Amino acid sequence: MIARTARILCAMLVLFGAPVFADDAAIFKKAESTYKMFCAHCHGPKMVNPGTSSFDLRKWPKDNKEGFATSVLKGKGDMPAWGDILLPEELDLLWHYVKTRAGKEPEPFDSSQAVPPPQKDTPIEQAKAQLKTPGTLTACLAKNGGVMSSRRATGGAGMDYEVAAALAAELDMPLDVRWFESEQEEESTPIREIYALLAYEVCDIVPGFALYETSLSAFYQTRAALPRWDTKPDHLGMEFQVDLEPISVTDPYARMEMGVVYRTADLDRSIEKIADMEGLKIGVEQGTLAGVLTLRQGTEAMALDAVTLNPGPDFLWEMEQGSFDAALVTVGAYDFHKKQNFISTLALDEYRHPLGFNISVAMLGRKKAMRDVFDPAIARMIEDGTLQDLADKSQYTYAKPRQPWVQAHLTMQTIISMR
Amino acid sequence: MIKKFAWGAFAAAVAFSFVTPQTASAQSAQDLINDGSDPTSILTYGMGYGQTRHSAMNAINLDNVSRLRPEWTYSLADSRGQETFPMIHDGKMYVTTHAATMALDLATGMQVWKTIVEYPAETPRVACCGIVNRGVALYEGKVFRTTLDAHVVALDAATGAEVWRTKSIDFKDGYSMTVAPLIADGVLITGISGGEYGIRGYIEGYDPNTGERLWRTYTIPAPGEPGSETWKDGGDAWKRGGGPAWLTGSYDAELNTVYWGTGNPSSWNAGLRPGDNLYASSILALDPKTGAMKWHYQTTPNDPFDYDTTNELVHAEIDGRKVIMQANRNGFFYILDRETGELVAAPKFIDKVNWADSIDLTTGRPVETEVATKARAGEEVNYWPSALGGKNWSPMAYNPNTNTVFANTNVIGMNYKAVEPQYRPGVFYFGAEFSWDWPEGDRGELRAFDPVTGELKWKDGVAIPRYSGVLSTDGGLVFTGNMTGDFEAFNAETGEKVWSYNTGSGIVGQPVTWERDGKQYVTIANGVGAVYTLFSGDERLASVPTGGNIWTFSVVE
Repeated sequence: MIARTARILCAMLVLFGAPVFADDAAIFKKAESTYKMFCAHCHGPKMVNPGTSSFDLRKWPKDNKEGFATSVLKGKGDMPAWGDILLPEELDLLWHYVKTRAGKEPEPFDSSQAVPPPQKDTPIEQAKAQLKTPGTLTACLAKNGGVMSSRRATGGAGMDYEVAAALAAELDMPLDVRWFESEQEEESTPIREIYALLAYEVCDIVPGFALYETSLSAFYQTRAALPRWDTKPDHLGMEFQVDLEPISVTDPYARMEMGVVYRTADLDRSIEKIADMEGLKIGVEQGTLAGVLTLRQGTEAMALDAVTLNPGPDFLWEMEQGSFDAALVTVGAYDFHKKQNFISTLALDEYRHPLGFNISVAMLGRKKAMRDVFDPAIARMIEDGTLQDLADKSQYTYAKPRQPWVQAHLTMQTIISMR
Repeated sequence: MIKKFAWGAFAAAVAFSFVTPQTASAQSAQDLINDGSDPTSILTYGMGYGQTRHSAMNAINLDNVSRLRPEWTYSLADSRGQETFPMIHDGKMYVTTHAATMALDLATGMQVWKTIVEYPAETPRVACCGIVNRGVALYEGKVFRTTLDAHVVALDAATGAEVWRTKSIDFKDGYSMTVAPLIADGVLITGISGGEYGIRGYIEGYDPNTGERLWRTYTIPAPGEPGSETWKDGGDAWKRGGGPAWLTGSYDAELNTVYWGTGNPSSWNAGLRPGDNLYASSILALDPKTGAMKWHYQTTPNDPFDYDTTNELVHAEIDGRKVIMQANRNGFFYILDRETGELVAAPKFIDKVNWADSIDLTTGRPVETEVATKARAGEEVNYWPSALGGKNWSPMAYNPNTNTVFANTNVIGMNYKAVEPQYRPGVFYFGAEFSWDWPEGDRGELRAFDPVTGELKWKDGVAIPRYSGVLSTDGGLVFTGNMTGDFEAFNAETGEKVWSYNTGSGIVGQPVTWERDGKQYVTIANGVGAVYTLFSGDERLASVPTGGNIWTFSVVE
């Protein structure tokens, strides 16, 4: 299971830019047999075909992995979709085969591959050799991350903080934290900021990294601005842009979910879908995914009667004061509210919306040796309840990661249909 | 000229006989048995239950074939390979693609109705060798076909409206259907495809009126069933043992026996399934009402080479004995007694066969060479003919008057090594690494030969092998099509090409001939594609566009 999980993540990352494979000949052999198994009978031996009955893959642009993935997974024209049957690593092997033109041409240049792989023996030694400050694991954590991360006079608190500390312990090292704060600039997004923090080597890892398709492909926007962090040098102004690098991620350690919060007096029913809230006065957090889902998947009557408010900590406080009776919110937001308002009358129903994001630890693609230490550690901590304990300590309602590890790009179709 | 009028009178008489006792669109069991004797209709796959693909018509002949011109064409509106066998009844022609069934006006080629076949978009994954359909069966006012996602469908012959639809099995496990069904003794019989996907093959009988399945005969026995002793050392291999049945069988009404060929055992790695692996790579004689097996004959025991034995089983009488004949993928031409299954003769019908020296007529088993032994032992071998076979699916013709077989054959070998197979439902289950061994020159030959001795009468070599069916007529002609689009006629005696017409896309269809108002016509579907196009990667086909049409030809005055 662990190996499988790791493979899937490797696969996703190869697809989106990070180098994973070391041994070219072995990869090619695998790629070739995968091609033979899935593609050769239409696209020809070694990709040679007349190009009439099926597409001539030798003409596929070498820089269009994403288009390739879409065609393979979802089908295109006469080609059937393979998404439900192909393993993610197989998709990557196929891409390897196509971009090397059946092994006849070198792989297109990828700067991240020019870095020689570390020669250390054990995974721990290899991981240690990649740290920015020898002897210390440095993590970037959001200063204002609610139950996930928050700064304390000494050290910090929150689920992501605890996970970072546990991973440092795996390396037998102290944890150093760079507390950062989003700049909320127009052109900046939290994901690009994380890429920038990693590329500038402000830290070795960023926990709390949500796995969705776009978060893994942000690399393609090649430059990004840095957010503020506690020890940021003055000379790095707002206009300073960092050249981004491919990132790598660990297996997910938790899942961010959405649930229904209600006032303890008001829930007279069991909830299995959003529309089941009909008849209750509904609060809608404007501009958030939870808000959109409430409006799209609720009934028309619900939407007409709903109270729409700005997102933020005040939202649940409004509910506490009786502005509305129930709302779909991220479970973490509810946890944070409870933590700050321990006499709260709000409760969280057992229902969880099927749409959620798995949370993992991000690092630079070329520092992925750390993953070989962290992945088994995460699997073990899920298994033995350590993560549940850390969550309890953080007052965070823990949810284990769920397949698929990486949430596909959200379309309006998904938002309407995934209920 | 006189002959032509004679045919016309005969046709008129037959036409009247249809009108009186039955509805206009009915065709009875007796009509099917008589098919081939009435040139105005084609009611059975292969032009007669014996699938000889030989017509007594001679209005188109060596003297006038040079004046053969298109009479009408009809677009199939489809870019896949077109293998449909056109059926004709009551002024209409019935043709199929993987995506639709169509009835055409025989006089003009205009569409009378078209019924779309819906199947899930993932289905083509389980079609190893082409998204094709080989045609319909006709019976008592209904048109029957199979679908790529393994359903059997009945349509109203007059309107195309669906009468019933029965799911045979879940395609996601690697099963599909491309076969033209067979009506025998009032039962609709079909066979399953999927020999490269780890299926367990079968042949089925359905009630043509209701779609109810009457029987299913597995071609791979379960433990304890007859034949299971030939799998006993293979563990669970039988569960994914292959033995598909993807080409239409023949039928002897007198013996009330259906003859159906089965495909390769799977995976190809024969070392993992020690034993003969019955009833894969076999010819089965079945009772049409029950599916019970009357006899079986296996051509390639413990086959490591993908030597399907699905090819058409052509009826003949040799020295007064009723036989079936098959040009097997494995390079040998099998002649079996139709009543007993006894092997009568098995000459080679192509030049290069290296996996076996001969077939022992006493034991009925191949006298194998070390190529076969090594292949089973997991060593890399070069074997001939390749998995494409000495002859692939494209049906041959047999002229009983001259005792000559006309068949499109391959000149292709294969480099092969058995490996551990990986089973995943709906994914290739080869258990072998392989590549083609192309010859220097021609990869295909249209060969005319004596079925009993295999003696070659003539051949016509072709750079890109032909995958079209063959038609023989008493006009002294042999019709077939080539991959670059030529519909061709040959002098049946000399092999001289006497006519050809480029149809604009490669041909992998099945030529037929028929008569209307006293005039003889020849029809073929073009539309390049299917197994050779897909598997070979032959770049010489780059200038041959896809796109299927039904082409009907006649002689201009």
